[in-house]
Amino acid sequence: MYGFEALTFNIHGGYLEAIVRGHRSGLLTASDYNNLCQCETLDDIKMHLSATEYGPYLQNEPSPLHTTTVVEKCTLKLVDEYKHMLCQATEPLSTFLEYITYGYMIDNVVLIVTGTLHERDVQELLEKCHPLGMFDSIATLAVAQNMRELYRLVLVDTPLAPYFSECITSEDLDDMNIEIMRNTLYKAYLEDFYNFCQKLGGATAEIMSDLLAFEADRRAVNITINSIGTELTRDDRRKLYSNFGLLYPYGHEELAISEDIDQVRAVMEKYPPYQSIFAKISYGESQMLDKAFYEEEVKRLCLAFEQQFHYAVFFAYMRLREQEIRNLMWISECVAQNQKSRIHDSVVFIF
Amino acid sequence: MEDDDRCSSNNPGGIEQEEEDEDGTVLRFLDSLDSYLTLLDALSSTLRQGWFELASARHSMGSSCISSVLLDQKVRSAATTFQVGKSIDGSPSESHPSFAISKWASSRDGKCSFGEMEVSHVQKTSKNSELRHRGSSNFYDTTEEHDLRINASSTIGDGDVQKERSKSLSVFGTLVSPKLRAAQVSFETALDAIVEIANIRSSMLCAFTQLQQEMKEKGLG
Repeated sequence: MYGFEALTFNIHGGYLEAIVRGHRSGLLTASDYNNLCQCETLDDIKMHLSATEYGPYLQNEPSPLHTTTVVEKCTLKLVDEYKHMLCQATEPLSTFLEYITYGYMIDNVVLIVTGTLHERDVQELLEKCHPLGMFDSIATLAVAQNMRELYRLVLVDTPLAPYFSECITSEDLDDMNIEIMRNTLYKAYLEDFYNFCQKLGGATAEIMSDLLAFEADRRAVNITINSIGTELTRDDRRKLYSNFGLLYPYGHEELAISEDIDQVRAVMEKYPPYQSIFAKISYGESQMLDKAFYEEEVKRLCLAFEQQFHYAVFFAYMRLREQEIRNLMWISECVAQNQKSRIHDSVVFIF
Repeated sequence: MEDDDRCSSNNPGGIEQEEEDEDGTVLRFLDSLDSYLTLLDALSSTLRQGWFELASARHSMGSSCISSVLLDQKVRSAATTFQVGKSIDGSPSESHPSFAISKWASSRDGKCSFGEMEVSHVQKTSKNSELRHRGSSNFYDTTEEHDLRINASSTIGDGDVQKERSKSLSVFGTLVSPKLRAAQVSFETALDAIVEIANIRSSMLCAFTQLQQEMKEKGLG
């Protein structure tokens, strides 16, 4: 049930909603992607991007360009836009914007811990961290030997602290424990974000519920497919699924016992919103599943801009920019590897 | 000259035998060269496929999950070892170096590894193959069929091999995308191809050396 957001939203959120809608109009269009797909070298890509909003970020990069450089510079643009919006935001929008970055924080924590386990240099690891997920004491993560120390020494003072209650053990960190920690943290984060949006109410709650439920369901499918043939038990797999979403709880029970992609398909086809996704891929094949999920996500994110006076536009914009950066990374890789015929395997057009 | 004529007329079988041996050497050389070029094509396409699958995996899992900074720098025993030996084709003077790999060596306990069986079967296939078309990877299409048959008969090693594969991928996490596993298989196939190329090259150079020697002797005689 919506309140009278139209009367009061613009007092605190009007400027930033206008800013984010302006940023949205700067997203690359189908004609931009068609030009990029015809490039022969990464320098051609740089030349085409110089006419877009990415121009100032790439213009000073020396040749020969590398695909990781393209991704880094495009990410810097997203970070600058986010930081501008965050410093202008008031409560509760500022908390909402901070929630968007907790996923990156989790990825950075896992990167540092895994790299330290593999005896890599901390500075090298810090350079690879996502800028949106940085926090002050991140370098201290390298000192921890188990999750209890990880929490006690570093994470207790970060926004991730409440998510650790489910996975604190004294077991030493190893590859399996780190993977379970990553997924448990992300599960707790999604549930917390979902509850926060419900408390906000109105259009924000309605639209964000749909977007976060889709995210939770997609994660459940990916966890299932990636864990097929591994040592992860059915119970452990079930524990990694979020406690909300369209698949909760009966779909999760069936996914937990699935042993191949066709069984996953049989579970998902019982849910009408996901029938169209699995209709695009053939039996026994999972290569195009990622693209099908991204296309569905982009469709839902674009629909968020059809309504005004809610915070979901900020979330939608961040995710659409991430998709755009993924597209640019893919196009760059295909051009660099001379695989231009495969470019359309994974590019998802936004407009 | 008359002595030569008398020799040739007295020993026509010996000359024919020499010519047959020479033809055999030429055929062996040409056969090795054909296999070598075919395998080079197959290697190139397999590596291309592997790099593409790695890019797909990075696109699916994210750049932070698949990155060179996650590679393990701890010292550990190698999962795959490489052996150099001597192979003898025919007479002892025709020996040449031969190469073999033992994949997933840590899974073995005194029994033949899955990797060794696979490479030896590939070697037999390369010797018995009919005419092939270059520029396609149908050599390894055939090998995949053999792999399936080996898979069916070597179920003892399968679970161990899968475990070793998962272990080597665990640097990127335990729940990795199927695309990353596909990339691993492609690079493994490429490694087999490289060893096979080394063996065929060795055999080809040996045949070429013999051919040169025979032509030299004929020229002096």
